[in-house]
Amino acid sequence: MRSLMRWLQSPKRKRVGAFLALSLFAVALLLPLVPVFAVAEDTPAASSDTPKIEKAKDVFYKTEGIVYGPPAPKLKYPDNYGTYGTFQSRTILWMANQQHLYFGSFVLAVPMFVMVVELVGMLQKDKRMSKKYDDLAHEFMKISLTAYSITAILGGLLIFTFLALYPGFFMYLASIFRPVMHVYALMFILESGVLYVYYYGWDKMNDSPFLKWCHLSLSVLLNTVGLVLMFFANTWLAFMQAPAGVDDQGRFLGNIWNAIHTPLVIPIVVHRILGNAAFGGGVVAAYAAYRFLAAKSPEEKAHYDWMSYTAMFMGVLNLIPLPFAGYWLMREVYAYRQQMGITLMGGLLAWVFIMQATMIATLFITLNYYLWTAMGRMPGSERYTRFFKYMLLVLIVATLTWLTPHTLVMTPAELKAMGGAQHPVIGNYGVMSAKNTAINIIITTTVLCFCIYQRANKVPTVKWAWWGNLALGAIFVGAATNVIFLGIYGYFIPANVRIGLSVPQVCSTLTTLFIGVTLNTMILKNARSLGEIRWGQMSTRGAYALFLLAVAFTWTMAVMGYIRSSVRLHWHINEIMRDASPWAFTNPIGYAGNINSLNVLIFWTMLLFVFWLGTLTDKKVHSTVKDTAGEGIEGVSIPVGSH
Amino acid sequence: MDSGLKIAGMTGRRFAQFIHYNKRRRVCIMMKRKTLLMAIFSALLLYPVISWAGTEKYINAGIFALIVEIGMGLSIIFLAWFVKNKLKIHIPKLMQAPIIWGFAFIVFRVILQPPIPFTLLAVYMGIITIAIFLYSSIDEPSWKEFSTPIRIMLQEDTKNAKTSRYIVFAALPLLIGYGTYDKMLPKFEEPVELRTVHPAPPASINLHGKIINLQTEYNPFRGKGADGKEEAGAQYMGKNPFAADAPKYLQNVREGGEIFFGTAGCVFCHGDNLDGRGMFAFAFNPIPANFSDPGTIAQLQETFVLWRVSKGGPGVPRETFPWASAMPPWEKHITQDEMWKVIMFEYWHTGFYPRTWD
Repeated sequence: MRSLMRWLQSPKRKRVGAFLALSLFAVALLLPLVPVFAVAEDTPAASSDTPKIEKAKDVFYKTEGIVYGPPAPKLKYPDNYGTYGTFQSRTILWMANQQHLYFGSFVLAVPMFVMVVELVGMLQKDKRMSKKYDDLAHEFMKISLTAYSITAILGGLLIFTFLALYPGFFMYLASIFRPVMHVYALMFILESGVLYVYYYGWDKMNDSPFLKWCHLSLSVLLNTVGLVLMFFANTWLAFMQAPAGVDDQGRFLGNIWNAIHTPLVIPIVVHRILGNAAFGGGVVAAYAAYRFLAAKSPEEKAHYDWMSYTAMFMGVLNLIPLPFAGYWLMREVYAYRQQMGITLMGGLLAWVFIMQATMIATLFITLNYYLWTAMGRMPGSERYTRFFKYMLLVLIVATLTWLTPHTLVMTPAELKAMGGAQHPVIGNYGVMSAKNTAINIIITTTVLCFCIYQRANKVPTVKWAWWGNLALGAIFVGAATNVIFLGIYGYFIPANVRIGLSVPQVCSTLTTLFIGVTLNTMILKNARSLGEIRWGQMSTRGAYALFLLAVAFTWTMAVMGYIRSSVRLHWHINEIMRDASPWAFTNPIGYAGNINSLNVLIFWTMLLFVFWLGTLTDKKVHSTVKDTAGEGIEGVSIPVGSH
Repeated sequence: MDSGLKIAGMTGRRFAQFIHYNKRRRVCIMMKRKTLLMAIFSALLLYPVISWAGTEKYINAGIFALIVEIGMGLSIIFLAWFVKNKLKIHIPKLMQAPIIWGFAFIVFRVILQPPIPFTLLAVYMGIITIAIFLYSSIDEPSWKEFSTPIRIMLQEDTKNAKTSRYIVFAALPLLIGYGTYDKMLPKFEEPVELRTVHPAPPASINLHGKIINLQTEYNPFRGKGADGKEEAGAQYMGKNPFAADAPKYLQNVREGGEIFFGTAGCVFCHGDNLDGRGMFAFAFNPIPANFSDPGTIAQLQETFVLWRVSKGGPGVPRETFPWASAMPPWEKHITQDEMWKVIMFEYWHTGFYPRTWD
C-alpha cells in the first residue's frame, strides 16, 4: 500500500490512478445489468420447458418472439381504479408525477454543472480562482442535497399514488419492466452512496491533488449513475407513448431490450437531458438571484452576482440546442404515427403548443434582457447600448411571427368577417416555414447578444481585428440572410423539400453559435480591458429577469410534459392498453393551464423553502469575492465562457 | 529663413491636408447617412405600390406580408429618427410608451385587413406591452427616465405630483370598475370557438370495403419518378391538360377537373379559383376550405385529403370537435379513383404539392 502511494506521488500517475479507479467503478456499475440480460437470454430456454410455445409478432419491430407474459388487461372502472373522494385521480397522479419530475431533474442536472465547475476550478492556475470555482461547485451541491431528499420523498409518494389510483395499469407496466425496476432501485442506492461520499468528503478530499482527482472521478460516477437512472425512467414513459417488445395484445415477447429501445426513446432521452440541464441552470441562477437580492454586503452581492451569471450561462448552453432536439423528437413522432404528430402540431393540442411557443419566446427574450441589463456593470458597454433597441425590435417581430397560431380562436362572426379559417396575411405566419425562420432568428440574435456581452468591456488588440470583425459581421449577416431567404423559399416548394430546408437554417444558426463565438473569443485574445466587471452591481431588474427565466423553464417543462403525456389520448399505453377511467378525455386548455400553474407554484414554494434552508447553513465568508466587489478592482474573476 | 518657410509650408500643407481629410470624412459620413435615409424613404414611397400589388395578388401573399412587416419596421425607425433628429423633439420615455402602443394598436386593428380575431389581437398587444416595458428599461438611464416621473407622482409632495396622484388613484378604480361592468354585462355574441383546422386522421379508413392505411397509401395516378418516389408533378404545373398530346399525368388532372366542375360539383362551394368562395360558400359558417392558401392542402398528405373528401364532415373523429363542416361524405357519390383524380387536380390547379414522407 505504501509503495502504491509512493508510486502515485507524480501528478501524471495520480491522474492515471484516478482514471483506473473510475473505470473500476464503471465496471462495478454495469454489474446490476447482468440479471436484465440474463432474463433476456434465458427466455427461450425457459419457455422451451412449457408444453406449448406460442409465438407472436412485435407490435413495432415486426419480429417474431415467444410469448412470455399475459396480455394487457382490459381495465374496468371502478374495479381497476382507485379514487380519493370526488377528486380526479388523473389530476392527483399528474401533480405527484410533475413534482417528482421537477425535483428529480433538478438533482440530476446540478451534479452535471458541479462536475464542470469543479474541473474548471482544478484547471485554474491561479489558486484564488481555483478556490473560488471550488466553493461555487460546493455551494451548488449544497442546494442539490436538500432537494435530493425531497425527490426521494416525492418518488415514494408517486409510487403510492400509482398503486392506490391506477393499480391495474401499474401492475402491467411492472410486469414488463420488472427486472429493470429492480436495477433502478439498486442504482438509486448507488446514487445516494456516491452523492453522500462526494458531498461530505468535499473538504477532506481537497487536501491532496490525488484525492481531488478522485473526488472529480466520483462526480463523473455520480453523473453516470444519474443519467442511467433517468434513462430507465424515460424508457417507461417512452414505452407508454410508443410501445415495442410486446405483441398487439400487449403480451411481453421476452426481449426486454426491445421494450426499452422503443421508437421514441432516444430522442426523448436526449431532449430530457438537455432540458434538465437547462432547467437546473435556471433554478441555480434563480437561487443566486434570490441570494443577490437578499444580500447585505457588497462581497455577498458580488459573489451571488457572479454565481447567477455562471449558472445562467450553463443553463443557456443547454437551452440553445434544445429546440433542435425538440424538432428531432417531433420528426420521430411523425415517423412513428402521423396521427400523433398531427394531434400535437396541427390538431387537438396545437394551442398548447402555442403556450409552449410563448414560453420559449419568453425564455430567449428574458435571457437577452438579462444580458443587456448585466452589461450595465461592464465599463465600455455604453458603446453597444444603442444597438439593444434594434435587437429588441428583431426579437419582437420574430416572436410575433413565432406566436401566430395556425388555428385561430375566434367567434363565428369574426370567422365570417375574416372570410375563412385562414387569414390572407397572418395566415402565412402560421406555417412551419415562418416558425423555423422566427426561432432561428431569435437564437441568432441571442448569440449576437452574447458576443456583444463578451466584448462589452474589451477592445481587441490583435492585428487582424478589423478583418476578424468583418468576418464576424459576415457570419451573422450571412446566417440571417440565409435563414430568411430559405424561410421565404419554403413557400414555393413541396412540403417534403421544405422540411429539409430546416437543416441549412439550423446550420446557419449553429455557425453563428460555434464559429461566431469562437472567432469572437479569438479576436478578444489579449484584448485591452476598459475596466473589470463590477460584480455585485447588477440591476435588480436583472435579478428578477433570472427569476422569470427559471419560472419560465418550470412552466415550459409542465406544459411540454402535459402535451407529451396527453397525446396518448384515451390510451394508457398507446394502442395496447385503453384508459377505462372516466378521466380518459383531453382536458380543456384552461384546466390544463391552471393545473400546470398550480404545479409551478407548488414547486417554487418548496424550492423557496430549500433556498431558505440554504441561507440557514451558510455562514461562510466569501473571502475571494472580496476582491471582485466594487469598482475597478484588479485581478478579478472571469467566469467560464465569458471571455 | 528658408528652413523657416519650409517648416511653415509643411505645417500649412499638413494643416490643409488635415482639414481636407476631416472634411472628406465628415462629408462621407453625412453622405452615408443621407444615402441610407434616402433608401429608407424611397422604400417607403414604394410601399403603397407594393400594397396595391399585394391586394391585387400580383405578388405572392407571403412576400407581400413580409414586405408589409419590413415596411412597418422601417417606417417606425424612420419616423422615430425624423422626430428625434430633424424636428429636434425629445419625447419623454413615459410618453413614448403609449405612443408606440397606440401605433401598434392601429397597425393590428385598422391597417391589417381583414380584421384579425380579438384573441390574436390580445396576444399581439400583450407582446407589444411587454416589449415596451423592456424597451423602457433596457439600460439604466432609460429606466431612470421612464420610472422617475412615476416615482415623483407616487412620492413627492409638489402640487403637480399630488394632482396627478389623485387623478391616477381615482382613475384606476374607475377603469377597473368599468372593466368589471363590461365583463358582467349580458352579451349576445356567440362564444369563441377553438376550431381544429386539421383534425388528426385515423390510422386507416374503410373505403368501399377496402382498408386504406393513411400512412402508406399513395395516389395511384401520380406515377413514380426515376428515383422510385411518387411524382410531385412539378413539370406539369402550368401546362395545358387539354392539349391533344397531354401526358397521362395531365389527362388525369383534366379528368379530376371534370369531376370538380361537373360530376361532383365541388366548384359550387370551393369556387372556380379553389379559394373557398363558390356561389354557395357564404351559406355556410365557416365557409369552405380555401385550397389556394398555403395553410390548407399544401400542408397535408394526399391520403389526409382523401380521408376528408371520402368521409366529409360526419366522418371527423369525436376528439377533434368542435368541427363544423358541411362537406358531404363523397364516398357515397363518387369512386375512389375519381377522388384521387380530383385531389390531383386540386394540387395542380393551386400549384401546391402534397406533403410526402421523406
